[in-house]
Amino acid sequence: METSIRKHIEAIKNGDVKLEEFVSEVLERCEKVQSKYRPFITINKKPDLKKSKGKLAGIPISVKDSICTDGIQTTAGSKILEGYVPPFDATCVANARKEGGIIIGKTALDEFGFGTFSTNCAYGAPKNPHDPERACGGSSGGAGCITAAADFPHIAIAQSTGGSITAPAAFTGTVGITPTYGRVSRYGLIDYANSMDKIGVIGKEVYDAALLLSVMSGYDPLDSTSSEEKTDDLTSYVGKGIEGMRFGIPKEYVSDTTDKKVVSGFMKAVQKLEVAGAKVEETSLPLTKYAVSSYYLIAISEASTNLAKYCGLRYGMQQEIVGDFETYFSKVRTAGFGKEAKRRILLGTYARMAGYRDAYYLKALRVRAKIIKEFKSEFKKFDALIAPSMPILPPKFSEIDKLTPIQTYNMDILTIASNMAGIPSLSVPVGKADGLPIGLQIMGDHFAEGKLIQIGSSLEGR
Amino acid sequence: MMEPEVMIGIEAHVQLNTKSKMFCSDMSEPGDAEPNSNTCPICLGFPGSKPKVNAKAVEHGAMIGLALNSRINEKMFFSRKAYFYPDLSKNYQITQYEIPLASGGFMQLGETKIRIRRVHIEEDPAKLVHDSGEITSANKVLIDYNRAGVPLAEIVTEPDFKNPRQVRQFMEHLSSVLEYLGVYDPKREMSLRVDANISINGGERVEIKNITGFENVEKALSYEVVRQSGITRMGAKVERETRHFNAEVKTTSALRKKEYEEDYGYIFDPDLPMITLTRKFVDSLKANMPELPEQRAARLVKDYKISDYYANVIIYTGKPMADFYEACLKLENKPEPIASWLVNYLLKSLNWRSERIEDSKVKPETFVELIRMIEKGEVTERYAKELMKQYVDTGTSPKKLAAKEKFALSESDMLKIVREIISKNGKAVSEFKSGKGEALQFLIGLVLKETKKQADPKTIKGIIEKEIR
Repeated sequence: METSIRKHIEAIKNGDVKLEEFVSEVLERCEKVQSKYRPFITINKKPDLKKSKGKLAGIPISVKDSICTDGIQTTAGSKILEGYVPPFDATCVANARKEGGIIIGKTALDEFGFGTFSTNCAYGAPKNPHDPERACGGSSGGAGCITAAADFPHIAIAQSTGGSITAPAAFTGTVGITPTYGRVSRYGLIDYANSMDKIGVIGKEVYDAALLLSVMSGYDPLDSTSSEEKTDDLTSYVGKGIEGMRFGIPKEYVSDTTDKKVVSGFMKAVQKLEVAGAKVEETSLPLTKYAVSSYYLIAISEASTNLAKYCGLRYGMQQEIVGDFETYFSKVRTAGFGKEAKRRILLGTYARMAGYRDAYYLKALRVRAKIIKEFKSEFKKFDALIAPSMPILPPKFSEIDKLTPIQTYNMDILTIASNMAGIPSLSVPVGKADGLPIGLQIMGDHFAEGKLIQIGSSLEGR
Repeated sequence: MMEPEVMIGIEAHVQLNTKSKMFCSDMSEPGDAEPNSNTCPICLGFPGSKPKVNAKAVEHGAMIGLALNSRINEKMFFSRKAYFYPDLSKNYQITQYEIPLASGGFMQLGETKIRIRRVHIEEDPAKLVHDSGEITSANKVLIDYNRAGVPLAEIVTEPDFKNPRQVRQFMEHLSSVLEYLGVYDPKREMSLRVDANISINGGERVEIKNITGFENVEKALSYEVVRQSGITRMGAKVERETRHFNAEVKTTSALRKKEYEEDYGYIFDPDLPMITLTRKFVDSLKANMPELPEQRAARLVKDYKISDYYANVIIYTGKPMADFYEACLKLENKPEPIASWLVNYLLKSLNWRSERIEDSKVKPETFVELIRMIEKGEVTERYAKELMKQYVDTGTSPKKLAAKEKFALSESDMLKIVREIISKNGKAVSEFKSGKGEALQFLIGLVLKETKKQADPKTIKGIIEKEIR
C-alpha cells in the first residue's frame, strides 16, 4: 500500500481507491501495528465514511487521546476517564471530519500529557518502531509511533504543551509541527496547561503536516484564546527553497550535555542548509536556564486546577459512595490518577498557595514574558532558530526507569522555551545514528508556520 | 447594659438577568425546567469544554460599579478560585481576584456612608438540594446544575455597618438600584443573596452565609448580635466560624470552624484572555445610565414638593411603585394627596395581601378616581379607607364601588338633605344667624345622622353656611 499522502490523494482523484475496502485494510494493519508497538488506546472499528469529499478525503487520521471525539472513547491516557465517550467533537476533529478525514483511532500518551517519553501511560507505553525496547517520546508518543509504523497513508493529530510533539517526532523519525499558540482551537482538548497547550500534527512528511494543520487552523468562537490571524494553505510553502535565509543556533541548545551523536547528526543537517543557500550563525538565548523551572511552575499550577474536575461525579471513573463528598472524591482520585498526575497536582497546588504564589506562580509568569521578548528580538535578526530537537537519542525503557523526575524534566530543555513563548516549531528527521533517528527543530516567530514548512521541506529527501 | 459595638461587612451576590449564562449559551433563567436539563458541556465542566465570556454580563457588572460610584478597571481578568465542593462542576469557580471589574465606591444611606470595596463578576454554582430540607441535618444531597454558570455580580462592602438595621436598609437601596439599572429580576428566587461578616467589641468575626430576603438579613444579624453578646457577657470568646441562617426558626447555627484563612490557590483563568474595557465603552455606559432611585427621590421632592419620607417610601418600595405614582400624577396633578394615600393606605392594603403593585389589580386610572372623590369631599376619609380595601381586593372602579355601596353622596343629594334640615329647624337656623356656634354643630349633626355619616362634616359645614347666608 502507498504510504505517501500526496500519492494517495492522487490515487483517490484517479478513482483508484475503493474507500470501504481501503479503510478495512487500514484498520487490519492498525491491529497488526497495535500488537507490535501499542500506539493506540482505542482503534475506531467503525469510522464514519459519509463525507467523501474535501482536502482530507480518504485520508486516515489518528487523534491523540487527549482530544475529544464525538462517540469515541477519550481517556487522556488516564484511568480516571476510562470509558468516557464525549458528547462532542473537538473543533480540530470536526474540521478534519468536515474535510473528509477518516478517524481511525485514538493514540496513546502520558496521562494528561504529563511526560517526556510516553511511559506514564495508564494503558501501556507505545514502543518505538525503530527499536521496541526504546520509548517513542512524549507525550504524543502514540502519534509518533503510529506515524512511523504505519504501512498505509496516515497523518496524526498531536498536541504539545512543553515539547510533546517535537520529542516523539524526533524519537520516531517523523515530522512534527507545533503551531503558534492560538493557531488551532483548543476547544475539545482535555487541558493540561491551557496557556501553553497547542494542537499540532505529526506526519511522515512536511507536506502531510502542512496539509492537516491548514485544515485545523483558524479562529473558533468556542475558544477565546484562538487567533483571528488568517491561515493560508501551508502546503504551498513546501519546496519553496531557503536561498538567502538567516538562521541562528542558540549556543545553549548545543551544550556538553547534548549527546555527541545527536550533535554530529544535527551539524550535518546544518551544512545541508548552508548548501541550500542559508546563512547560519551562533546566537544566544541566556534565559534558557530559567525556562524549565518556570515552565513547570506554570504548567503544574494550571494542571492542578484542571484536574480538580475529575472526582467521579459526572463522568469517568466512579466508586461506591461511602462517607461525605471529600471522602468520595479522595477515593476516586486516589484510584484514578497515576503517580505523575498525583505529583503534579501536589506540586501545582503548593505553587498556588497563599505565601508561595508570588514567589512561584506569579514569578514564573514574569519569566515567561521575558522569554517571549528574548525570542522576539532574535526574530528581528533571524528567519528562524535551529537546534537539535532532543538532547539524546531515543532512550531504552530500562534507562528511563532510572531517571529522577528532575532529570526527566530537564530532557525538555530544548523544547520548553519555545513552547512557553507560544512560538511555532517544526521538527524534521535528519538521519540516524546507531539506527536511531535524530531530529532537527526549527523555531520561528509567531504565525511563521509557512516559513518553517519552507525550511523544513528543504531538509527532506536526499 | 452597654450596647455592644457592632461591625458588619457584607458580600451581596446578585444574579444578573442576562439571557444566557456567564460562560456558555444555556439560558440564564431556566425557570421550572427539569433539574439538570438546562446544561451543556461547558457549565457541567466536561473535559475539553472551554468558557466564553458573556459580554452582556460584563456590561451589567460595569453598570453596577458605576451606580455605586466605583472605578471601572481598564484591564480585567478572570481567575480560578479552587476548592472542592459538589456544587462546583469544575471544582473551581471562575471569578475575579486581583483586578475586579470595579474598585472602590460608596453608597450613601442618609448620614451614613457605606464604602464599597469592589464589584466583580463570576459564575453561580449549582443548586444543592438537601433531602431533609436543611443543610445541617441532611444525609443526602442532590445537585441541580441548571443554576451552574448563571452570571453573578458580587458587591463587597467595607465593614462600615454599625447595626443590622443599616444592612437591611443598604440591601433595600441596593435592590432598588439594581432594579433601576435593569440588571436583575427582584422576583427571581435567590436573585439577591448575602454573606455577612459580623463581629462585636472587636472580637473574632463570624461569617453568616447565603441569607436571602432583607428581613432575614436583619434577623440573622440581630440574632448574631444577641448570641455574640451573650458569649462575651459570660466571659467567653466568640469563635471564628461560618454559620448558617435557618429562615424557619430565624436563628443561626455553626457550619464549620475557620481555624485559618481559606486558601483558594487563585490562578488566572488561562482560557480567558485579558479583557480591556476601553474609555469609550465606559463613557457610553455612563452616558446611557438610567435615572437611579436616589436621583428620582430627589426629583420627586423637588418637582412635586412632597416630603422626603413619602419620596423615599415610594422609591424604595420598588420601581413599579414609583412608576405608578408618576402615572397617577399625569392623570390628576395632586402630588401631596396621592403620595399620602399611596404611602399611608394603598401600601398597607397591598402588604396585607402580600401583593406587589405590578401584580395587583390597582391601576392609575382607577386609583385617581378615589383621590378625586376624596378631594371633592364626596366620600369621608373613613369611607375612603374602607373603599380602598375593597378596591385593592377587587380592582373595581372606586366610583362604581361607591355607587353600589352608597358610600358617596352626590352634591345634589347632599344639597337636598341640607335644605330639608334647614326648613325643619328654623330655631337653630336663627340661633346660628345670631352667632351661636353650637347651633351650627347641631345642624351638622342632624345632616350626619340623616346621611348615616356618609358625608364629610367639613363639606356639610360649607354647604350649610352657604345655604343659610
